Amino acid sequence: VTRPSPKEIKAMANVAGLPVDDEVATRIANSIGPAFDGFAHVAGTLPFDLEPATFNRVQTTQVAK
Amino acid sequence: MSASEPALLSLTEVAHAIAQRQVSSREVTQSCLDRIQQWQPRLNAFMAIEADDALSAADAADAALAKGNSRGVLHGVPLAHKDMYYDAGKVVTCGSKIRRDWVATSTATALQRLKDAGTIRLGSLQMVEFAYGPTGHNPHYGAVHNPWGYDHVTGGSSSGSGSAVAARLTFAALGSDTGGSIRMPAHFCGVTGLKNTVGRVSRAGAMPLSQSLDTVGPLARTAEDCALLLGLMAGADPEDPTCIGGSLPDYTAATREPIKGLTVGIPSAFYVDDLDPDVARVLEATTAVLKGEGARVVQVELPDQRQLTAACQIVLAVEAAAFHKRWMIERPGDYGPQVLMRLQNALAIPAVSYLETLRWRGPALAAHLAATSGVDAVLAPVAPVAAPTIAESDVGNSPDAEAVIQRLTRFTRPVNYLGLPALSIPCGFTRSGLPVGMQLIGRSFDEALLLQIGAAFQRVTDFHAKCPEPK
Repeated sequence: VTRPSPKEIKAMANVAGLPVDDEVATRIANSIGPAFDGFAHVAGTLPFDLEPATFNRVQTTQVAK
Repeated sequence: MSASEPALLSLTEVAHAIAQRQVSSREVTQSCLDRIQQWQPRLNAFMAIEADDALSAADAADAALAKGNSRGVLHGVPLAHKDMYYDAGKVVTCGSKIRRDWVATSTATALQRLKDAGTIRLGSLQMVEFAYGPTGHNPHYGAVHNPWGYDHVTGGSSSGSGSAVAARLTFAALGSDTGGSIRMPAHFCGVTGLKNTVGRVSRAGAMPLSQSLDTVGPLARTAEDCALLLGLMAGADPEDPTCIGGSLPDYTAATREPIKGLTVGIPSAFYVDDLDPDVARVLEATTAVLKGEGARVVQVELPDQRQLTAACQIVLAVEAAAFHKRWMIERPGDYGPQVLMRLQNALAIPAVSYLETLRWRGPALAAHLAATSGVDAVLAPVAPVAAPTIAESDVGNSPDAEAVIQRLTRFTRPVNYLGLPALSIPCGFTRSGLPVGMQLIGRSFDEALLLQIGAAFQRVTDFHAKCPEPK
């Protein structure tokens, strides 16, 4: 995954029904960009069968020290 | 007991004193109101002060007790909470202009359970707009000030809760923690704050920010007080299907247990990197105290925490924007600039990326549990620094504010993403007199162990007992 460009953000915001101007799109790109960078090593690597509910199962699994 | 100023007692102490009729609820309530009158102009910690109603309720509590009727373990204890807990018939602003006059029609389960135990309402506490910010700034109602240094932030979003508990205006306060909003005010203001496991305490009737990350928890003066409150609030709730049922441990009993033989892990990286020298010193001193109490302290290697932080940011941004979308369309001008900017960040995140972060949560938690399988809890700073000034962290007025804020939330967000419990305890002060807290991070649903370690630490230290003086 790569961080979206201001131009892409403008298009996505329009689709969401919350249009933004160039300045706001650039600000958003700079603000959320590091989160994309941080998650880049995980994105696109997850196993096919992995469900979000796995979290609840792991959470309630007792782990002995 | 502090007969002259009962507001200085802990929650546990004052509840006992009222129950034993060593002090009346009216005396206690008046003591809190006196301190509120003294401090509120300096701190701006309260959103609403309901003195007459509080005193009337206190009189009713005293009259009931005189007849032998106690409502519960907190009978007649006055409290105030973050202004995001719905209380039927009361205005609940959520720190916003949009809900400035909104009257709740139901009462939050957590709040109701405290009321059922006998608490009295003092008023409501200030907060960051819609709980979406880590500093304590609020463009609609003004910044909340830190009682240890008025120019410094309280931390957010439970800004009023941290400030008011530190200044002894309320014995405890509900906060909420989605990205660090209980632990940061606890750290910056020198109080004890418990971020519960996701699913431990009902969120019904608490203003939502992120359904995957939101947690309800207390800020109080001691771990013992947090245990008392958690014991009252925790457990299944038909109004919140995400809340886990089953038997609950005796949290208060846990606080009396020694910690000899427990193992505490200190992260080998990330949480110890780039620390302010004061914070590094306090971490070292805290480690020494725990060792002195018989705990074994070892180094622990955690998975990459930067990935967890990033995932937390993505989940939080998308879920918050989904809650707010209608108002973002209809009333964008009624948001403060900081919160609107944060909400707009979600517009850059594709649905696939959001869902990937949710799918990764299980494996990420499993990896954390495997990495910490040799320890009972992890000890880490809440933030790499003590409270910055209000001016330097004011987005829009300080060029460095974004960087300052990013640094503040670095150590809290991984815990939120993993849904883990964490207890923030006061562990020292900087050379300039600002509090420094540390967080104990535990396994899912093992709040009792954190409270046990926190209480043991507080039995042999007095940082939690320090009270700021008006300047």
